[in-house]
Amino acid sequence: MISVKKVDNRPLNWLERIYLPEIARGLAVTLRHFFVNLFNPKGMPTVQYPEQQLELPHAAKTRTRHRLKLRADNSPKCVACFMCQTACPAYCIRIEAAEYPDNAVEKYPAVFDIDLARCVMCGMCVEACPEDAIAMDTLEIPGGEQDRARLKLTKEDLLRNLPGEPSVVGAANRLANEYLKSKGGA
Amino acid sequence: MPKLTIDGKTLEVAKGTTVLEAAQQLGVHVPRYCYHPKLSVSGNCRMCLVEVEKSPKLLTACSTEAAEGMVVHTATEKVKAARRDVLEYLLLNHPLDCPVCDQAGECGLQDYYMEHSRAKSRFPAEDKVRRQKRRPLGPHLVLDNERCILCTRCVRFCAEVTKTAELEVMERGDRSFIDLKEGRALDNGYSLNIADVCPVGAWTSRDFRFKQRVWFLKKTPTVCLGCATGCLTEVHHNEGAIYRVMPRPNAETNTWLCDAGRMVYKAVQAGDRLAKGVIKNGLIELEPALRETASRIDENHAAAAVLGSPWLSVEDNAALARLAKDALKTENFSFDFNAEQGIKDGILINKDPAPNAAGARRVKAACGGLSFGELAAKVASGAVKVLVTEARAAALLKNELKAGGARLIVFAANRSEIPQGAYATLPYANYFETPGTFVNFQGLERRTVPAVAAPEGVRPLWAMVNRLAVYSGTSLHLDSAEAALKGIL
Ligand code: SF4
Ligand code: SF4
Ligand code: FES
Repeated sequence: MISVKKVDNRPLNWLERIYLPEIARGLAVTLRHFFVNLFNPKGMPTVQYPEQQLELPHAAKTRTRHRLKLRADNSPKCVACFMCQTACPAYCIRIEAAEYPDNAVEKYPAVFDIDLARCVMCGMCVEACPEDAIAMDTLEIPGGEQDRARLKLTKEDLLRNLPGEPSVVGAANRLANEYLKSKGGA
Repeated sequence: MPKLTIDGKTLEVAKGTTVLEAAQQLGVHVPRYCYHPKLSVSGNCRMCLVEVEKSPKLLTACSTEAAEGMVVHTATEKVKAARRDVLEYLLLNHPLDCPVCDQAGECGLQDYYMEHSRAKSRFPAEDKVRRQKRRPLGPHLVLDNERCILCTRCVRFCAEVTKTAELEVMERGDRSFIDLKEGRALDNGYSLNIADVCPVGAWTSRDFRFKQRVWFLKKTPTVCLGCATGCLTEVHHNEGAIYRVMPRPNAETNTWLCDAGRMVYKAVQAGDRLAKGVIKNGLIELEPALRETASRIDENHAAAAVLGSPWLSVEDNAALARLAKDALKTENFSFDFNAEQGIKDGILINKDPAPNAAGARRVKAACGGLSFGELAAKVASGAVKVLVTEARAAALLKNELKAGGARLIVFAANRSEIPQGAYATLPYANYFETPGTFVNFQGLERRTVPAVAAPEGVRPLWAMVNRLAVYSGTSLHLDSAEAALKGIL
């Protein structure tokens, strides 16, 4: 059902129509914020992400950027079963399976892309995974990029930031590494 | 004619019918693994247990013959408990590696587990009997002995259908496993049917291996063009790519499908697929190729000839006939193919490797034309200066073309088909991409249904013929496949 709300578009009165008093009123609001923030910067509500971060509440922590986990022998845990791709409501996962010549587990993903520009951060892929191979616990919140292509994570992107692996580029990696350090990683 | 009651419904069945088949007639599905309608009854999996009144124990429906006055129950608590127990037993040593198994999504174990059991495994993974995994056997298959439930469908298929008996069960009890007999190879020409009959993921296809999950596949019912038998098939495809071809069992021709027939689809997405014209050996755009071809035909208008092809549909052969009669106005055309037909090996493979000789003969019946021998003689004598035909049909006149030196213009779907010395080649959409009518060796008319789209710019052969005629100044009015068929079928 569509509900209709009547808006009361009252015509401007004389004082408003001459414009200048309203400008002064607006400036007063801006200036008040400016001086309050200048003398009391701690009270500012803006968070300078990604340099600054708020502690995320519990559920939100498991809805951050994906990563692919590794086995003890450093091969990806993922077996390219396509469960996550099937479960994904945004169609943002693309896998291509391949075969190991001599690993005990035959199948692995040759390609594993997640398009964060499409991802709705629902966590269905993590729920669906029978191998506990994908997680969304990097605490990195995918942010703005200049270019859509940069929002596409490849298998290599998804496998980085694991304990023992150094940061490659950018603030996002730094944060993820700090997080891993706080968990006792390298 | 015994009369029996199954789940409260009474029916009369032919003598010798089993309880399982009788239930099927009533639309009651009794779960089964080892039973297969086209193989002998083995009765080893115990999945089909049902309760029969006055019988002290549950009976296997697949091996119990229906008898007068029998009262069968297929859904009592006792039967349900038995199904749960049989499933638990079959899953005892199963590796539960569904995430890496290609059968997932069409697996008998998964389906019946969800429907009849849902019990948690009580058997620790360390105690499971380990068997050999991932054994490539024969050119087409991989065997995973751990996933096998020993239903012996594969063993019976090789013993009863191909009569080659390469497989057997080795050892006893929980050590048993399916194995190839010593010194044998699994290359009987029908081996991929084993992957189909195996109800679990023990036998899987190497060609299909890890390419797609089965639940993504869309299914298009069509016809195999591997030989004159014309088996009914189902093409499984997704997002414009074909992944496998499966049999569509029917009473007239086939339950199974041969390995060669299943691989016909490979040509569709092969790297040498033609999307442009070829003049001598160089690729050129389609329109200039058509113009060039048309002017070469016009040069020798009076000495042009057309040969149909048993590899083309009736529509496309009919279009070629129209080209000869209405555009070239020549009597030099032939749709007369008389290769010997009939099942070669007692199973499916036909003596005639071309799928539509009978269909081409129907075009001959409607349009007339020379016999194959007469046309061959004209080509050999040099009376024919330009010959228009399909690439594989051109091979039938190889020696005559060499002797007579006629300019050869062919239609081909793949570059590898182009015969040596062809002057011009025009591409066309093959029958995974366009509908066509084929007449098999029994005279049954069968239509292919397109599963995927043709490469950009490539049209069906009848449409190409239409364009060719326009370039040489005649309109054949071939606006659809039906227009080509007019007056023929
Ligand atoms: S569900 Fe898990 S194992 Fe399966 S493809 Fe996705 S990440 Fe890999
Ligand atoms: S391999 Fe498949 S068909 Fe053969 S016995 Fe085992 S489960 Fe049955
Ligand atoms: S189907 Fe009856 S015992 Fe296997």
